[in-house]
Amino acid sequence: MSVAIVVVSHSEPLARAAVALAGEMLQGGEVRVEVAAGLDDGSGGFEVGTDAMRIKEAVEACAAADGVLVLVDLGSAVMSAEMALDFLDDPTLRDRVTISPAPLVEGLVVATVAAAGGATLAEVAAEALDATAAKAAHLADPPEMHADPPAMQADPPAVSGRFTVRNPHGLHARPAARLVQEVRCLGADVELVNLTTGAGPEPGSSMIRVAVLGAAQGHEVEVRARTQEAVDAVLALAERGFDESIESFEPFETPPRPSGAPQEPGAAGAPREPEASGAPRADAPRGASPGVVVGPVRRLVSAPLEVDDAAGSVEDEAGRLDAALADARGEIEATHRALRHTAEAEIFEAHLALLDDDTLRGRARALVAAGRSAPRAWADAVAEVHDEWAALDDPYLRERAADVDAVGQQVLRALTGAAPPAMPAPGVLLADDLTPADTSALDLALVQGVVLAGGSATSHAAILARARDVPLVVGAGDLVRAAPDGVTVALDGGTGEVHVDPSDAVLEDFERRAAAEREQRRTALDATQAPAVTTDGATVVVGANLGSVADAELARASGADKAGLVRTEFLFLGRDDAPDEDEQAATYAAVAAALDRRVTLRTLDVGGDKPLPYVAAPAEDNPFLGVRGVRLSLRHPDLLRTQLAAMVRAAAGAEVEVMVPMVTDPAEMDAVRALLPEGASLRLGMMVEVPSAALKLPAFVGHVDFVSIGTNDLTQYAVAAERGNPGVAELGDPLDPGVLQLVERVVASGLPTGVCGEAAADPAGVPLLLGLGVRELSVAPPAVPRVKALVRTLDTAACAELAREAMRLPDAATVRRLVEGA
Amino acid sequence: MTDALSLEQLRAWVDGFAASVKEHREELTELDAAIGDADHGSNMDRGLRAVGEALETKPPADPAALFTTVGMTLVSKVGGASGPLFGTFFMRLGQALKGVDPVDVAALATALEAGTEGVVARGKAEAGDKTMYDALAPVVAALREAGGSSPGEALAAAAAAARAGAEATVPLQARKGRASYLGERSIGHQDPGATSVALLLEAAAAAAGGGAPAT
Repeated sequence: MSVAIVVVSHSEPLARAAVALAGEMLQGGEVRVEVAAGLDDGSGGFEVGTDAMRIKEAVEACAAADGVLVLVDLGSAVMSAEMALDFLDDPTLRDRVTISPAPLVEGLVVATVAAAGGATLAEVAAEALDATAAKAAHLADPPEMHADPPAMQADPPAVSGRFTVRNPHGLHARPAARLVQEVRCLGADVELVNLTTGAGPEPGSSMIRVAVLGAAQGHEVEVRARTQEAVDAVLALAERGFDESIESFEPFETPPRPSGAPQEPGAAGAPREPEASGAPRADAPRGASPGVVVGPVRRLVSAPLEVDDAAGSVEDEAGRLDAALADARGEIEATHRALRHTAEAEIFEAHLALLDDDTLRGRARALVAAGRSAPRAWADAVAEVHDEWAALDDPYLRERAADVDAVGQQVLRALTGAAPPAMPAPGVLLADDLTPADTSALDLALVQGVVLAGGSATSHAAILARARDVPLVVGAGDLVRAAPDGVTVALDGGTGEVHVDPSDAVLEDFERRAAAEREQRRTALDATQAPAVTTDGATVVVGANLGSVADAELARASGADKAGLVRTEFLFLGRDDAPDEDEQAATYAAVAAALDRRVTLRTLDVGGDKPLPYVAAPAEDNPFLGVRGVRLSLRHPDLLRTQLAAMVRAAAGAEVEVMVPMVTDPAEMDAVRALLPEGASLRLGMMVEVPSAALKLPAFVGHVDFVSIGTNDLTQYAVAAERGNPGVAELGDPLDPGVLQLVERVVASGLPTGVCGEAAADPAGVPLLLGLGVRELSVAPPAVPRVKALVRTLDTAACAELAREAMRLPDAATVRRLVEGA
Repeated sequence: MTDALSLEQLRAWVDGFAASVKEHREELTELDAAIGDADHGSNMDRGLRAVGEALETKPPADPAALFTTVGMTLVSKVGGASGPLFGTFFMRLGQALKGVDPVDVAALATALEAGTEGVVARGKAEAGDKTMYDALAPVVAALREAGGSSPGEALAAAAAAARAGAEATVPLQARKGRASYLGERSIGHQDPGATSVALLLEAAAAAAGGGAPAT
């Protein structure tokens, strides 16, 4: 049995709450915790106080444990606890009891975790005593500038262990980041010494210090910590290669490893050469926006950043630095999310760890405190760390100084407000990933096509690419980093094919595909201004989804019958304050005028994944299930009121209706309606994206004038597969029979129903939606001619039969096969 | 008047102390309110009431049993630091008086010395820390100085010394217990624990017939 804990407090509720808090930290382990708190008031209740006899009983209840740590709160608790030990029936038990001066709450949490990990009484006591270290470190003054390793605790770490670095490139940025993350999670003081070179000890909690160890593959590293638990955790992590992708491991045969050691299974694989193109990957490139294009490789380039030396007050500069760090963190997190489950994500994990690194931040803060401007302090701190890394012996680590630069540039850009990177010349854009803001900032006149390392076909970038008719391939991986600038690349956004420096035969093939595509488009365009009527005479409204005034012009040329969805976010993203009512009203009117047809404006649809600097939104682990869409709008009623007022003004001169995203309950619609200007009459509809809302749609009758099904979000919520996550991309198909049944339920409510998601432009989705009774589709403007042409070939009765059959099938793939065979 | 205190007199001392604390309950609480958590009077009163009940339920056979019961009861019923401190004090008295009945001045001095040592060991207090020890510290010396006097006279001298010790805590800055959190603001208030000690010794003197009951 492990060490048990007795909590002595004046207050029974306090002790119970502290025990509950500590219990939350336990993952599986079990620790005996006894409470001796409060004073019997003689009538079964408790008064504030401590009772030595109760403490004695609590300690004796733990007699079977290897040891007992007694944590006490104030004054008399100490004396009562000491007294209790005098009373013990078995005086030898006393030798196994330690009364700890640790702070009660922190000490209990730490001690519980340590005890659950099987630590000895002395170790548990030491951990508890050190329980405020994390708080103290957090609140401490920034470290000195010339960062010598932070001073270690006076009492040396009690336990140690050794591992040999397996990672091909040593403890470089990414494994180091993982190590630091683990050490911080452990909350333990961990020191590392490179036994091969003698470097260290360095604290395991600072990535920069860990990198300075210069631990290369085959080096032996000693881990020192206070508890065996911490050492074991680090050794286990080392054994897992610091969770670096298996494919990045070289076959393990390097000599520095002590002879006779067994070879790790599973560590072998293709070497990862950043220069090599097309290394085998688990997930191949996928088409995400159709179109065939051949053009030169381009990347986004940043203008050189000017570092301004003019400093305001120390407080101002410190505030600027913190704000820029927070901005940069948000950007990197967004990219990291988009690349999740890909090898590239590790790069951004390393960037995040660098951004959080106390050494780097501490140096910058110390320089700010010394009177330098925030940009200068940051640039100098980055340069120092860069130089330190660049001077390391290990060539791979030297290269990782580039990670420092990348993070440095990102923060500097946030500090100086410099323009986001842009395309230098026409061509095919290669990038790790594009944020929605990046995508909307692109100069489309220059972008012939896009190839992304990460991303998925259902990401925002993909949706926007389709809206702009830009061919897009996602999941291309290392190829994106490897292809040299300017070399010719051929891509097919339908099939996902990408050829860097293609042969003449491939080039010819791609040119032919491109020509055929142009021809098809021309034919459809010729007929597009006419309404789309099925073979049995049903008229289907084919509208366009718009994200700008330019989109509206494009939609009009494409023959859109209406704008079924105007994403008003374009007005709000990428700026420091919200657009005022005049600006909004003018823009909405301009969209309506450019299209010259009915327009459905959607109120602001943002959440934790698309944060706006002027809308306070809580950090959320799961922004797609958090405060977004109408949930966010209703928390910022002024913002929504202004937007509604602007929409009402635009409605005065045009056919304008309004719809609200992410609605769950009728009460939310009532709350939105209450924010309309007095006397305003406006058709007010809702998006159906929440499965529960789809199922209870009859409850919305009388609260909404129309509904529009956002199949992208409805699908991701119905099948529990996040849109931006390539790992579950196959599940997130709107043709899933369950999603189709939700659509059927919505149509059955009798409310006017449109569909504005991807399914509406999907050649397999259109017949199914018509079969389910949908008579209004809204698609990306370039898709309007194609969808109209498709509608004209369909018979609604046959579609209804097809839809009925589809809803009985097990999954989206069989639905697609059914439609293809029809 | 004999030269030693009988069990009845010692019991009367305890009862007298309980009555005195009850009488001074508000005063003690006010003293504690100034520099502590305003519960000393009520805590001690409750503890000593419980002591009275315990002694009724199971009348002690000798002085050692009497003080042990007092100590154990206080430990369980007085929540603040006074519980373990007064509890220790009386329990040490009980230990020191094992087999002693009646209790003469010398034995009482030895017992009070043991009790005082117990308080010091438990509370880690030193003279001038503004604690009950400041009132206890001069007691044993006063008893011993009283030499051949009757227990009444000796205890009257001891009570005067305790009272003086308690009053001397007024200008001190607390260095122990919750009052120490107040720092300089603890100056100017008499320590409630020391005041209770004065009441205790005054009750002893009264029980021994050697002086006026507590002030």
